Amino acid sequence: MKLRIATIGLIFGLCISAIMARAVYLQVFYGTKLSQRAAQQYEKSFISRGMRGTVYDRKFRTMAVSIDVPSIAAYPRQIEKTGQIAKALARELQVDRKALYQKLKSKKSFVWVMRKVSPKQTLRVKNLKFKGVGFIPERRRFYPNKTLAGQILGFSGIDGRGLEGLEFYYNSYLEGSRGTFKTVRDALGREFGGENGAHARYTGGNLILTIDQTIQYITESALAESVKKYSAKSGIAIVMAPETGGVLAMAHYPFFNPNSFKEFNKMTWRNRAITDPFEPGSTLKMFTVAGALETGEITPNSIFFCENGAYRIGRNTVHDTHPYGWLTLQDIVKYSSNIGAVKVSQSLGPERLYNNLKAFGFGKRTGIDFPGETPGRLSHFKRWSKIDAGAIAFGQGISVSAIQLITAVSAIANEGQLMAPFVVQGITNSQGRIVKSFHPRKVRQVVTKKNAMHLKKMMQMVVEPGGTGVKAAVGSFSVGGKTGTAQKVGKNGTYAKGKYIASFVGFAPIEKPKIAVLFVVDEPKKKHYGGTVAAPAFRKITQETLNYLNIAPENKTDTLTARLENGAAG
Amino acid sequence: MPRSSTTEIKEKKISTQHRQPVYDVHLLFPVLFLVGIGIVMVYSASSAVALKRFGTDYFFLKKQGLFALLGIVVLVICCHVPYRIYGFLTYPLLILALLSLLAIQATGFGYSAGGSTRWLRFGAFTFQPSEFVRIAVIIYLAYSLNKKMGHLRSYSVGVLPHMIVFGTFSGLMILQPDFGSVVIFGALTWIMLFAGGVRFLHLFSSFVLAVPIAYFLMFNAAYRIRRIMAFVNPWQFPSDEGYQMIHSFMAFGTGGIWGSGIGKGYQKLFYLPEPHTDFIFSVIGEELGFLGVLSILVLYCLILWRGFNIAINVQDIFGSLVAIGLTTALGLQVCINVGVTLGLLPTKGLALPFLSYGGSSLLSNMASMGILMNIGASGRKKPK
Repeated sequence: MKLRIATIGLIFGLCISAIMARAVYLQVFYGTKLSQRAAQQYEKSFISRGMRGTVYDRKFRTMAVSIDVPSIAAYPRQIEKTGQIAKALARELQVDRKALYQKLKSKKSFVWVMRKVSPKQTLRVKNLKFKGVGFIPERRRFYPNKTLAGQILGFSGIDGRGLEGLEFYYNSYLEGSRGTFKTVRDALGREFGGENGAHARYTGGNLILTIDQTIQYITESALAESVKKYSAKSGIAIVMAPETGGVLAMAHYPFFNPNSFKEFNKMTWRNRAITDPFEPGSTLKMFTVAGALETGEITPNSIFFCENGAYRIGRNTVHDTHPYGWLTLQDIVKYSSNIGAVKVSQSLGPERLYNNLKAFGFGKRTGIDFPGETPGRLSHFKRWSKIDAGAIAFGQGISVSAIQLITAVSAIANEGQLMAPFVVQGITNSQGRIVKSFHPRKVRQVVTKKNAMHLKKMMQMVVEPGGTGVKAAVGSFSVGGKTGTAQKVGKNGTYAKGKYIASFVGFAPIEKPKIAVLFVVDEPKKKHYGGTVAAPAFRKITQETLNYLNIAPENKTDTLTARLENGAAG
Repeated sequence: MPRSSTTEIKEKKISTQHRQPVYDVHLLFPVLFLVGIGIVMVYSASSAVALKRFGTDYFFLKKQGLFALLGIVVLVICCHVPYRIYGFLTYPLLILALLSLLAIQATGFGYSAGGSTRWLRFGAFTFQPSEFVRIAVIIYLAYSLNKKMGHLRSYSVGVLPHMIVFGTFSGLMILQPDFGSVVIFGALTWIMLFAGGVRFLHLFSSFVLAVPIAYFLMFNAAYRIRRIMAFVNPWQFPSDEGYQMIHSFMAFGTGGIWGSGIGKGYQKLFYLPEPHTDFIFSVIGEELGFLGVLSILVLYCLILWRGFNIAINVQDIFGSLVAIGLTTALGLQVCINVGVTLGLLPTKGLALPFLSYGGSSLLSNMASMGILMNIGASGRKKPK
């Protein structure tokens, strides 16, 4: 019997050996082929775009990001109780029941019920467990700061393409690349999982802006406050780092929220600081004066006769707000004398004035990395009439964009070096590695370092007692600036009565300016002088931004005197 | 008297052995290890199916865990019940087994699943009699062969009565239909007769006799023909009869040497039918790879080795035959189930001992191991 038992054991041993041999054959030798065949069944690959990249401010705070959101679709052929489903879906998604019913009744194999649905609604519809209603993952662009920097960021459409602002300009970098994605499905055809790692490969690049979210906020608050206070039509403000040309903040009021851009007037989508030209008015005098200094024939102390308030050129008469007799060049700036500016321009001559304004970048696009930039309007000096040469000198008959103006003023602040403005300082790939970086670019030396110094001093005098911009003085910092009050050109081509553009442009601290700020209010009511409407907002933005940037206030006696003087002026 | 003193020492040794626990670690460890792997793999294989059918992925895991605990209790009990008692209970057990199979057909308790009626259902509790019938038949064969020892060379004594019992039970099982169990019972009867000492000629003739019956049964049901065809070349029938085979192959192939990792298999996701019962070994092949397959086969080999060792060492013929029967039954289940998943045998609905989901199978196999341990312990108790 023992022998027989051993025989049985042996037979089992043989059986199990055969089994092991078979396992070796299937798993080791034939394994690759089998696993490929299996993969053909459970893997499904499709071509799609990777996720759109993220937009960060200069401190890597998220300004625009793409997130996955489901869309609800229906397969009408699979739907049985059309009426019931239409009713329930209409209730949950708050859409028109009849329109939905028609969609579901159609003979198409696929219809969208609602694209990009909120997580809450998705869950509710999922819980209904309707046959023939499916969820398709899609992506949505999300702007966490809502209206903040809306016009800079722009937005992207439902298909994920950038349509406005940086989203449009940098679309090719932000957009995810096309690639083959794999999903895995079970035998019931339900997809799950997939390789998430592979998705990163197709994710678009990330933008790193020069914009600082906090400065943007400071700027936008001051802008909204001013525009509301003076019941103005709109307003523009820009904060720039003069040393680099990097834009720290750029805003246009009224704002819009890119998350729901369709609900806003199309006019608010545009970044008017870049796209819309306007007549700058007196702020332009700075550049006339700069040109005069560059000739070497005129110094800050050269004197000009200001005709006691009225100066006739051909059939036109130029007026000053207050009548002045003889004024030095720096007083012309300080009191913002139009007649003085005309006189300076006359000593310069049209050609030199034109070339000088060209050198500051007027009449030509700055080349900022933003769509829809206007070159402004500066006609050739040969086409200037007699009055044109005079008017352009104090900012009429020329139109500029806000970005041109701030860039030109920054050149004065930056020792006469004109820097090219830019908004994006770098692009990183999905792994965070820098793939492209934009460095500050010097366009040209517009004025000499010495003349830039003179101009800064003159602009400092503007905010000193007696100057037009005294309300721009910042307690703890020395600032320089220039007011601007321009009558708007009406529809018939003549200047419209009571419609002004009030502006202030300046920088701080005087010694080595860290920021240049332009503040423009379009059609303020009640008051319209740049020194009254725009200068206080400039002051607010400058003060808060310098504090935020941790720039040490200048010595306390200065602070004290500035305060006392402020008090005296008020 | 030096001689008697040595025997005394031997007896002392034996008596100290006697005081030691009856749990045979050589059997217990592989069994517990397999049951543990079984719980993990049942969860891995069944979670997707459970989630779809019952809304909770733990459905089968919970039940299998409960049965495992119950199984250990059954093993402990069987381990302590002197196996000779089964000898006295042979006929009552056999009749009970017969009645339970009849009950499936004749009473309202019969319960069908997957096209065959193999279960008895009492409320929420279902029970597969064939798992217990197997033990009853093993006891009957051991008892009968032991009693007829010395007369087995006669066909009418050695072969015929056992063939009649086998025929009766297989007839009832074909009605279910449960062709897999019939094959196991046939092989089991045949091997036990062989072990008991029945003549080769008689065994061979009974085998020859069985061939036309088997042939008739095979080709009388259309689905069995297709199954055989699909077994020969599964790739020819990728969407129907060969489907299971192909997906089982894919599971093994995808697993390769190292496996895709527990829980990471794809074939269990509704590609493989019954991934947690009949095809759990395929899921193991995919998730644990060839190394897992090898380890599990080694564990079964340890059990078989120990089982046959017990059968050889036990002096009592009845005990030896029961041990042979129980070990053989286990080995047959393993070989047939694994053979099916690897495409060595045509598809049959059989559970893999200790690993497949199923309470009846787990309990009966645990009971078998308990009985085997008891036989093994008694063998050491009374030498000669």
